[in-house]
Amino acid sequence: MKKFYHKYRREFSTLVAIIITFAFFGIMNSTYFSVANISTIITQSVTYGLMGIGMTCVIITGGIDLSVGSALALVACVAAQMAKAGVPIPIWVVLSLLIGFGLGLINGFLISSLHLQPFVATMGTMSIYRGISYVITGGFPVLSVPKNYRNVFSRNIAPNLSISVIIFLLFAVIMTVVMKKTRLGNHVYAIGGNEDAAKLSGVRVVFTKTMTYGMAMLGTTLAALVLVGRLGTGDPSTGQGYELDAIAAAAIGGTSMAGGRGNIFGTVLGAILFSALKSGLITLGVDTFYQYIVTGIVIVIAAYLEIVQNFFMQKKKNTNNAAKA
Amino acid sequence: MRMEKYIELEHITKVFPGQKALDDVSFSVNKGEIHALIGENGAGKSTLLNILHGVFPATSGTVRIEGKEVHFANASEAIAFGIAKVHQEISVIPEMTVAQNMMLGKEPKKRGFIDNVKMNEIAQGFLDKLHCTFSATDKIGDLTAGEKQMVAIAKALQLNAKVISFDEPTASLSDAEVEVLFGIIRELQKNGVTILYISHKMDEIFAMCERATVLRDGKYITTLDLKDCSEETLIRAMVGRDISMFAKRTRPSRCQKDNVILKVDHLSGEVFSDVSFEVHKGEILGFFGLVGAGRTEVMRAIYGADKRTGGTVTYNGKPLMCKIPTDAVNAGIAMISENRKEEGVIPNLANMDNIAVSSLKKYEKGIFVSDAMKAENSRNVGEKVGLTPNDPEFMTVSLSGGNAQKVILARWMSTDADLMIFDEPTKGIDIGAKAEIYSLMEDMVESGKTIIMVSSELTEIMGMSDRVIVMREGAVVREIPREEFSEDNILKYAVGGK
Repeated sequence: MKKFYHKYRREFSTLVAIIITFAFFGIMNSTYFSVANISTIITQSVTYGLMGIGMTCVIITGGIDLSVGSALALVACVAAQMAKAGVPIPIWVVLSLLIGFGLGLINGFLISSLHLQPFVATMGTMSIYRGISYVITGGFPVLSVPKNYRNVFSRNIAPNLSISVIIFLLFAVIMTVVMKKTRLGNHVYAIGGNEDAAKLSGVRVVFTKTMTYGMAMLGTTLAALVLVGRLGTGDPSTGQGYELDAIAAAAIGGTSMAGGRGNIFGTVLGAILFSALKSGLITLGVDTFYQYIVTGIVIVIAAYLEIVQNFFMQKKKNTNNAAKA
Repeated sequence: MRMEKYIELEHITKVFPGQKALDDVSFSVNKGEIHALIGENGAGKSTLLNILHGVFPATSGTVRIEGKEVHFANASEAIAFGIAKVHQEISVIPEMTVAQNMMLGKEPKKRGFIDNVKMNEIAQGFLDKLHCTFSATDKIGDLTAGEKQMVAIAKALQLNAKVISFDEPTASLSDAEVEVLFGIIRELQKNGVTILYISHKMDEIFAMCERATVLRDGKYITTLDLKDCSEETLIRAMVGRDISMFAKRTRPSRCQKDNVILKVDHLSGEVFSDVSFEVHKGEILGFFGLVGAGRTEVMRAIYGADKRTGGTVTYNGKPLMCKIPTDAVNAGIAMISENRKEEGVIPNLANMDNIAVSSLKKYEKGIFVSDAMKAENSRNVGEKVGLTPNDPEFMTVSLSGGNAQKVILARWMSTDADLMIFDEPTKGIDIGAKAEIYSLMEDMVESGKTIIMVSSELTEIMGMSDRVIVMREGAVVREIPREEFSEDNILKYAVGGK
């Protein structure tokens, strides 16, 4: 148990933060605790969550992906157009995922093969993907996506339980397994820790990084399909600033921006905390403008807690070692 | 007359996580003396200097200067006190000029702005004193390693220091530059500056220094007056036992002379050209040369870590062309880099993952990697290499140098590699761990593996190798069989004899 705590101490603190957040808003406003509200919080966390999971993988390699918000819009527009054109549903899903994967591979190629800085490369594709979304839609949202397509990714399969939540959790489980239990995932952590050492150890750095950017975009693709399902439209201007929400979910969940450290479960918790906070502020009637400020403060606190926690761990380790020596 | 004690170190102990770097070290340095500080890699010289320079505090013990106890909270306080250093690794900002680098943080100002003219003038003055051929306005990134070293010396001069420590200052200098440097050091001494001099080169120490303090494994051994002391006495104090005792083959050679496992033909790269040699199965082939001879670069080119520009490599009778290190690993070749921290240890991984990273396929069940199998492998191989603590969950980055190196060895012993390229395998490792690593190398050749060992330590090269290839300035100059090993013989070719 102690070992378990030790290994997942960062996730424990996120969990505690979630409980405190719920308790605080619950005391301030009793409707916050209602099943319907909790269901809304979790459903709304799906977008940041799915995008955040992908972002987590990218950040663990030591990179960043700023293009996810634009990619979300692009995939949503293309998917909406395909749905209106009557592409059979299974093919529609597969094609959408392939397009998203492709957008990620482009990022991966620029970063690992051409050695562009991740920040700059994805800032470029952020603009490119957004531009393409506007070009293919003429700047207008693709409206009235047929119901049967919308139902695939957004419908209630039980009262207060959307299928999107199941997809979110399923994706989280799959990506956890990929990151922790496959060679690719092991290599991702190795690259994030020390790319040169990983390379000399025989890790295919270019391949692994490219694949990670591709995989990461699958989360964004699912988020796009959920969004199309929820709203029934593919809007080329959607998803602006979502890359920051995705990064926030990862950061709150304990992913180290320096790379090499973090996990999917933490990001899932981070996304839920982020959503709970936003929802709570709305229930309290806090102005949207202030919400930005509060969210920002939470991110800063989360980052600071990380430092404090590491400091105490290091100190403890030092005293232990000194005692041994 | 100048016998007053200037720097007094008393009972200095420094404990790092998992390692006692200094253990109750006491000695003193007289005013205006050139005092050598010697010891093997990992003896604690750098740690001691770092304490003196305020980089980190001692765990216990006191430092006195001119009889007064001093406590420096950081390096700038030590510099302000007048303690400067000229380090072996020179930290510069490559995009800035020589003058900007020298005057960083204390630029002369005029009406609130940096006075560039004056700054260049001051800097040039110091460079002229050192007979430098480059100018204060040159970009530092364009200078050679030796020239950068001169900048570091000029920077120390400019601080008007009372104590200057030189850490391997001649490592990257040409002979002419060394002469100038020695002149400067003697001049500093005349002006009453106290000098601590760290070097591995015995002739330099005897030429320059009055006394030498010897450290070994973090402990103070002795302080010798160099006027009445032979080179041999000094080396014995440094090594502590007969050199041949620990860097020596204890088992018979396994070299199969007519079985060529690796053949390198006319290989060329960025800093070496036309390198040809053969490696026999079961052999430990030593690669000797001075720093910059191109040994590491040859190995990196074979391994696929650097590009080659020409030539061929044949491994086990088949042509080998490694575009990336993965190709080499798949072919059965391993390489341990000399930069353990930068290119070896993966700091966010525990021992089991650091060990498993090159052999993950072995622990796969279907597409899933089994943690249990990784841990089991970590314990087994950890046991073989004598890893302490042999704990799969222990973070490798917290281990001492010797144990971290064992983790890297374990990484490659977990693969099926037949050819091991070891680049400075015992760099920064204490003597006990060194002996263990030598013994592991013998285990490896006994089990049919082949080793190429790049090393700058002559004792290690002579003790361990079946054959030595000497490189100089990017070319192979000589191949020496074990029967013809002698310090003179090997050094002669490395330095430039015919």
